[in-house]
Amino acid sequence: MNRIEKQLVENKKNNIKSLIAYLVAGDPNMDDTLSLMHGFVDAGVDVIEVGVPFSDPIAEGPIIQSAHDRSLANKTSFEGIIDLISNFRKKNTNTPIVLMGYLNSFLKNQKAFSRFDDVGIDGVLIVDAPGEYSLKDLGISNANVVSISLVSPTTTKERTKKICNASSGFIYYVTLKGVTGSSNVNLEEIKSNVIDLQKNTDLPVMAGFGIKNKEQAESISKVADGVVIGSYLVESIFQAKKTTDYKKIYNYLSEIKSVINK
Amino acid sequence: MKDKYSEPNSEGFFGSYGGKFVPETLMEALDELEKCYEDIKSDLEFQKKIDRDLADFVGRPSPLYFAKRLTEHFKGPNIWLKREDLNHTGAHKINNTIGQILLAKMMGKTRIIAETGAGQHGVATATVAARLGLECHIYMGAEDVQRQSLNVYRIKLLGAHVHPVESGTATLKDALNEAIRDWVTNVDNTYYIIGSVTGPHPYPMIVRDFNAIVGRELIHQSQASFQSLPDAIIACVGGGSNAIGIFHPFIDEDVRLIGVEAAGQGIDTGKHAAPLNDGEPGILHGAKSYLMQDSDGQIMATSSISAGLDYPGVGPEHSFLKDSGRAEYIAVNDESVMKAFHQLSELEGIIPALETAHAFAPLDLICSEFNEDQNIVINVSGRGDKDIASVAKLEGIDLE
Repeated sequence: MNRIEKQLVENKKNNIKSLIAYLVAGDPNMDDTLSLMHGFVDAGVDVIEVGVPFSDPIAEGPIIQSAHDRSLANKTSFEGIIDLISNFRKKNTNTPIVLMGYLNSFLKNQKAFSRFDDVGIDGVLIVDAPGEYSLKDLGISNANVVSISLVSPTTTKERTKKICNASSGFIYYVTLKGVTGSSNVNLEEIKSNVIDLQKNTDLPVMAGFGIKNKEQAESISKVADGVVIGSYLVESIFQAKKTTDYKKIYNYLSEIKSVINK
Repeated sequence: MKDKYSEPNSEGFFGSYGGKFVPETLMEALDELEKCYEDIKSDLEFQKKIDRDLADFVGRPSPLYFAKRLTEHFKGPNIWLKREDLNHTGAHKINNTIGQILLAKMMGKTRIIAETGAGQHGVATATVAARLGLECHIYMGAEDVQRQSLNVYRIKLLGAHVHPVESGTATLKDALNEAIRDWVTNVDNTYYIIGSVTGPHPYPMIVRDFNAIVGRELIHQSQASFQSLPDAIIACVGGGSNAIGIFHPFIDEDVRLIGVEAAGQGIDTGKHAAPLNDGEPGILHGAKSYLMQDSDGQIMATSSISAGLDYPGVGPEHSFLKDSGRAEYIAVNDESVMKAFHQLSELEGIIPALETAHAFAPLDLICSEFNEDQNIVINVSGRGDKDIASVAKLEGIDLE
């Protein structure tokens, strides 16, 4: 069983809500990304989403766009990100890793997919790939990597079914109409949509896009199987002036993990 | 007999190009647009309304003009000009916005957004939005806001809001990114009028169909003017909407179709905007097509003297026509474009847009392949008023 499936099934069995944390590889630099990933795990993060920077990230708000730009200015490459995961695995062989990015990066780097199993990359989340397509449909063949899809507030019932059928690992519920980091979350709407979504799938449902504070995380985790925190972390990493400031980020994550499991 | 050309397929692919590669939030909006478009295609009332607007508001049909002095200069085939520069707002762009704004209205959308490079599509969108009293927001790269200041002011005069985009390379591709982000956020009440045959399905098909009026008129006009179809049709290609509009009705005919891309500072310098000549297939802005990307799949910065062609991608249908060999795509550099710009102004009294001047730059070469009995048609996609200030600046002339 893939690490993602194993971790999330176990969490569900033990009635533990999952915390998924996102950062952009290479922002501010690869060494810090590596230490942040270990820090995330120590703070209670269950799955790490590693952002693959892209020149034209159309689903991202200003915070994550800027992080992509900074990372690319640091010459972050797809191979470099696989090396990062390989380094991470020297100390951590358990925490599931998902690469999140845009289709062109993945198609252009298909050769690198053969390294995914060796280094321990467990899933991919491709923001601009239609959810009803499998990785194979897209011309990417790697049977051991799970393909995580997004379902949004505008997804019809018919599409939801198709997407759920083509997905594995978990379903990522996009909590708002908008780009990452927006502030127009409507907690009641999210809850009712997540409940509807769960009727279509046995996969765990994680909710994200615009979740910033403990109150939102706690409220959404009443129905979802976990929450994804992205822009808030990326901005905090950017604001950190010295590596000791990362401690505040880890404290924040620990608090989120405990409120969603209150 | 060969099958009639019928691209794209029901999934929105032209061969292997095109498709719908967008964030999930937009998938339903694209499906809705596709359904609505299918409905109006067969709706005679709707078509009549478009025809009326094209005649009375845009001034169609645009003339087919014999360029006598240009023909004499090149001593080859007869050169004819399809005068899209005479349309209201000064370019072919309005053919598309007239159609799409009616679609928007039918779908009950109250807010219009668009991206623009040279500003022609921004003007054409702001114009039709003003006419229907709809709120309108135009995204434009900050660099283009500088070099096309006249059009920025025109857009504002028409009551629309201009949003300069500072991210990335601050040109057309970044304006598209920002427009898509706006659409994701305001999808309930907003209609996105894409300005070229780019973006996710059904846009490349819709924008093509609305621009194909140019080619349909040309069928009749060429019969009337020289009693046959043209031997070749030439058009500049950025995203490729003016080119596909004039090419499309001739795809099944024995007519050479020649697209001219922007070679910028030269193909071998890498500083250009010619993905069909020096790019490879990839995915950008919702569709698979040729694009300019580096070895890691990052989209490259482009370079062109014309803001409207300064784009790293191209419409998926052009990629298909290139691979199938049905159309030819060449590229010309900035220097030869400036020469053509002056030549057309001085020989024919027509000051073309810098984008349009690209279609005239390779005439030396193209004319040598035809004889004096043959007829070639160039699509004069837009007029050059908007470029006067930047041309003067390039030539060191102070207009202040």
